[in-house]
Amino acid sequence: MDRTDAGALVRAAADGDAAAWKALVEGLSPLVWSVVRAHRLSDADAHEVYQTAWFRFAQHLGRIREPGKAGAWLASTARHECLKVIRNSQRLTLTDDPRLLDRVSEDGTPEQSLLDSEEAAAQSERVRRLWQEFEELGERCRQLLRVLMATPPPSYQDVSAALGIAVGSIGPLRQRCLRRLRARLQARGAI
Amino acid sequence: MSDMNGDRYDDGLYDHDLYEDDLSGEGDFGDEEFDAGMLEEELRQAAAVLDPVPPELQQIAVDAYALHDLDARVAELTFDSLVDALPVRGVTDTPRMLTFRAGEVTVDVEVTAQGLMGQVLPPQPARIEILGGPRPGFPLTADDLGRFTGDVPLSGPFALRLRTGGDVVVTEWLRA
Repeated sequence: MDRTDAGALVRAAADGDAAAWKALVEGLSPLVWSVVRAHRLSDADAHEVYQTAWFRFAQHLGRIREPGKAGAWLASTARHECLKVIRNSQRLTLTDDPRLLDRVSEDGTPEQSLLDSEEAAAQSERVRRLWQEFEELGERCRQLLRVLMATPPPSYQDVSAALGIAVGSIGPLRQRCLRRLRARLQARGAI
Repeated sequence: MSDMNGDRYDDGLYDHDLYEDDLSGEGDFGDEEFDAGMLEEELRQAAAVLDPVPPELQQIAVDAYALHDLDARVAELTFDSLVDALPVRGVTDTPRMLTFRAGEVTVDVEVTAQGLMGQVLPPQPARIEILGGPRPGFPLTADDLGRFTGDVPLSGPFALRLRTGGDVVVTEWLRA
């Protein structure tokens, strides 16, 4: 979500426009979710941190100094709550939740099966492999890419706020991590 | 590819580099051009399918608009033992201590497994609500010395809304 849009929506929502709030949630929710996912919290913790970030954002709505940076504000809030969870539990609950990895093949509802073509099955398999290789990347790459893959693509300022990395190093790290992912896929013959 | 990498790294190191986690290290291997943007876009699509925001969770964020309250002052978190306190060796089960401040009003809170206790300073009676989200909270009363106790275990996000005299103060949302 670009800054002009975010700024206008924040101001409108602060003035009582519920539709503007909804648009903010729709535009920035995937970013917040990406941040908590990047930190590998358990599902329960992830849900709580996500909610905490939005509750606090709602609470500060009329007081946010730079409304255009709403994405960075939310990302940074989510990050700090994630770090507290990690500090508190002193151990990371890894997201090796099989449901996450298998979700594609799990979608076997009757309606779905009717629609499934061989092409779609091959596509799902590609997506599943891609995800698996992504999950097995080193921790820093996995974190960075998980945040970068939010929809819409976050700005580097947002990514910086989400992960505490300098804006200037995001580009090179991104390039390197994507190259690494691609090398893994190639090694598996997945490309 | 017949550059210095060939002299310095053997294939084993190359493989190792794929798995090591230190990105600050030197040596971009094989500087082949590829469309990073396309791979990122594939990941974006994969995330949308495999790890989307749970719809019920997003609905909670939409409903959180009700928490937008222009009349209340926000008491900011100024101390959180989880972050600001030095760990005490051998003591693992310490209660979480929080301090919030809005202007002259300070709220000290201690979160325990049983619930919470705290004090409003300067000492004054207050009606307090423990909020857990955009819905009515759990009511408490602070006595003349500003002390309050709540016997509901906190879980998840919470905030306290305090009414003292004509003033409404809400503590910053936190995860218990």
